[in-house]
Amino acid sequence: MTQPSGQRGQVPGSADNQLDIDEGQARIEWVSRHSPVLNGFVRGTLADGALKGLRIAVVVHLEAKTAFLATILADAGAEVIVAGSNPRTTSGPVVAALRARGLAVVSEAGGDHRSWERELLAAADLQPQYIIDDGAELTIRMARLRPDLYARLKGVSEETTTGTARLHAMSAASRLPFAALTANDARCKHLFDNRYATGQTTLQAILRLTNRQIAGARLAVIGYGHVGRGIALYAKAMGASTRVVETDPVRALEAHMDGHRVGAAADMLPGASIVVAATGGMRAVGSREFEYLDDDVVLANAGHHDLEIDVEALAAQTNNQAEARAGVTSYHLAGRDLHVLSGGALVNIAGGSGHPVEIMDLTFAVQGLGVHHLATADLPPGVHIIPKKLDDAIAAARLASMGINLGENRPEQEDDVAGWIEGMPN
Amino acid sequence: MLTTSLITELASAGSDKIAWARRGMPVLQSIERRLVEAGTVRGKRIGVALVLEPKTANLALVLKHAGAHVSVFCQGASTKDEVVHALRAQGIEVFAEAGASAARDMELARLFLGTKPQILLDDGASIIRLAHREFPDLVATMLGAAEETTSGVRPLRAMHEDGALRIPVIAVNDSRVKYLFDNVYGTGQSCVMAFLDVTNLQLAGRDVLVIGYGWVGRGVAAHANAMGARVTVAELDPIKALQALHDGHSVDSVERAAPTTEVVFASTGIAGVVTSAHVLAMRDGAILCTAGGGDFELPMDYLRSLDASIEVRQHVREYTLPGGARIRVIADGDCINCAAGEGNPIEVMDLSLSLQAIAAEQLALEADRMAPGLYPISIEAERQVALERLRHEGATLEPMTDVLAAAIRSW
Repeated sequence: MTQPSGQRGQVPGSADNQLDIDEGQARIEWVSRHSPVLNGFVRGTLADGALKGLRIAVVVHLEAKTAFLATILADAGAEVIVAGSNPRTTSGPVVAALRARGLAVVSEAGGDHRSWERELLAAADLQPQYIIDDGAELTIRMARLRPDLYARLKGVSEETTTGTARLHAMSAASRLPFAALTANDARCKHLFDNRYATGQTTLQAILRLTNRQIAGARLAVIGYGHVGRGIALYAKAMGASTRVVETDPVRALEAHMDGHRVGAAADMLPGASIVVAATGGMRAVGSREFEYLDDDVVLANAGHHDLEIDVEALAAQTNNQAEARAGVTSYHLAGRDLHVLSGGALVNIAGGSGHPVEIMDLTFAVQGLGVHHLATADLPPGVHIIPKKLDDAIAAARLASMGINLGENRPEQEDDVAGWIEGMPN
Repeated sequence: MLTTSLITELASAGSDKIAWARRGMPVLQSIERRLVEAGTVRGKRIGVALVLEPKTANLALVLKHAGAHVSVFCQGASTKDEVVHALRAQGIEVFAEAGASAARDMELARLFLGTKPQILLDDGASIIRLAHREFPDLVATMLGAAEETTSGVRPLRAMHEDGALRIPVIAVNDSRVKYLFDNVYGTGQSCVMAFLDVTNLQLAGRDVLVIGYGWVGRGVAAHANAMGARVTVAELDPIKALQALHDGHSVDSVERAAPTTEVVFASTGIAGVVTSAHVLAMRDGAILCTAGGGDFELPMDYLRSLDASIEVRQHVREYTLPGGARIRVIADGDCINCAAGEGNPIEVMDLSLSLQAIAAEQLALEADRMAPGLYPISIEAERQVALERLRHEGATLEPMTDVLAAAIRSW
């Protein structure tokens, strides 16, 4: 495939370009060495040649882990088109390394929102048949801006909760003429990625950005979904006193039994030294919540929207703000300093190095096998979940890579409900 | 040479970082207020030889605000340029150059001692020892010194036993307010988080070997375990080993644990705890680092003698063993939290550096009544530090009553 024109990267063949390629390759190699499922089970499954010659677009944060998935697909014979799902997270060296391997990368590092829109259209114009999408960003643009090419799409595998909701909405509106898989619904995705990866990397980012201590901190988590659970779990284990703000009574009860203090924002936020928003909604920390906060509190967003901490309302309430440290904005409000991390953007992405490699090994196994399933299973149009059998096989492959083998249930261990049913009078 | 505008820029960036650290140091601020008022260190020449970063910079500034003449030394490897310029802008004499060679560091250390400090605040006792070796006249005029670390207190004790120590030294490290907190929570957190930051990996589900179950080893083991690791502890002392077992870790020898270990944190401060034989028994991809001590704990000479080594990631060097297994070493074996992170968290340094300030005051007031030797921080001063921190955190101490006092004394 030809490269899109108008690149702003290093001149091919230059010394700087070679340094970039080497750096990018080293990063991808590091990922490869910690990705037993992608290297083993996924490569093995894709070796049946089902992806040979298929044009697959990979539209995910363009760094080393995504790049490794792209190379796995390319090694299986697919013609891979690569685009970043966010202009801020695209890595120059990784782009250079992928191009050196002959993949069609439409994105450049250091772009902005406008260049990103152009890149997505460039990806569309390379006529992908399948998309591994993040937030359904390429899918919705093709539907709207490239209807002819959209009509020829054969399937989409989607990474996130947000994208899943978008695909369901399109399907309900009869605008989804192909099968879509929602990776986030796989247990090997949401039980691990959302909980352990976001939990770990959120704490890493908070501690790195602030140089503060977790032991003895009073950390409030707003929202006790998978992400909130992971953050609270690790924070408590490292010595923080944890509190949870949750409006869903079942989740709140779960948080209570997990050993966290639970209550309303008005009761949980006063006295907190770190507050993390993880609701997936908007304005979890808004004008009303600001009043509950102590002086010197650190505010971090681990949710989905950049406005879970209402930085617009904060900026509207005070002109007195300063960059206290890289990634830390201090708002002076009614005699208190409130420190917002990463401008309110997702702290583990904006202020960190992204998810751990091993977790993305699982998530991308779901995506890689998802595309294979789309290409081989002849699914009807609509939104689907990957089969439980595949989900189980991913976990089993990971366990096997660590030398862990599971026993099997024997027939005599099964519940004897069948016998009961047989004995029931007709 | 740096241009004036670049120096101003660096100084300003350094000042911001120092100001951020100061926010998390309420105890040191309270001591500053007291020292300024009491004038106890006013006019004293105090030499600060600690890792030069925003937190320790606050200690230097506190002493200066209290009227002392402060000079600062730090080795090039641990020096942050912005902090150097920020302190110079405040009128503090700084003898430190980021990236200086060992020879240049020695030169700077001698110049630093040339400011004739009466009180030395040392880290690793290297300056105290240098002064004894090369500046006997200065030592004769000194009031005393304070030592921050375990690895510094050990040689000072040996010097004292040999009759070679000629000044009183306050062993800050021996304070409960230091070793129960700094080494456990500070070093534990910063080493484990630096590992995650450097590698972009998980500890969840990993087999981690912590060598040494002193205060640092305990902190590393606890934080690794909190992040989901299965921890095995190797320890010479049977009582500490038993404690590790009761904390939920496995206990085994390095030799027996080596073949299954994925990550090693050496936290002993003792040379050669990991040998080439251990490394040869390790699995492909095993990662080695040190927490609290230094590269001497690892068989770096052996690893460097191997032909094949590449930097596979920033701060990660990979050595290929004769059998083909690839062993990775983080930060060339130097303490992972200083080499690849921002050092200990602010709150815990508030405690340790407050003790240093108190030690300086104790020496200024009482040195003429102290014979050469090692001294603890006063128990009352320790209590004040802990109480001030508790107050800041909104915690309330159980009050002593006559009834309780009587019950405690009853027999």
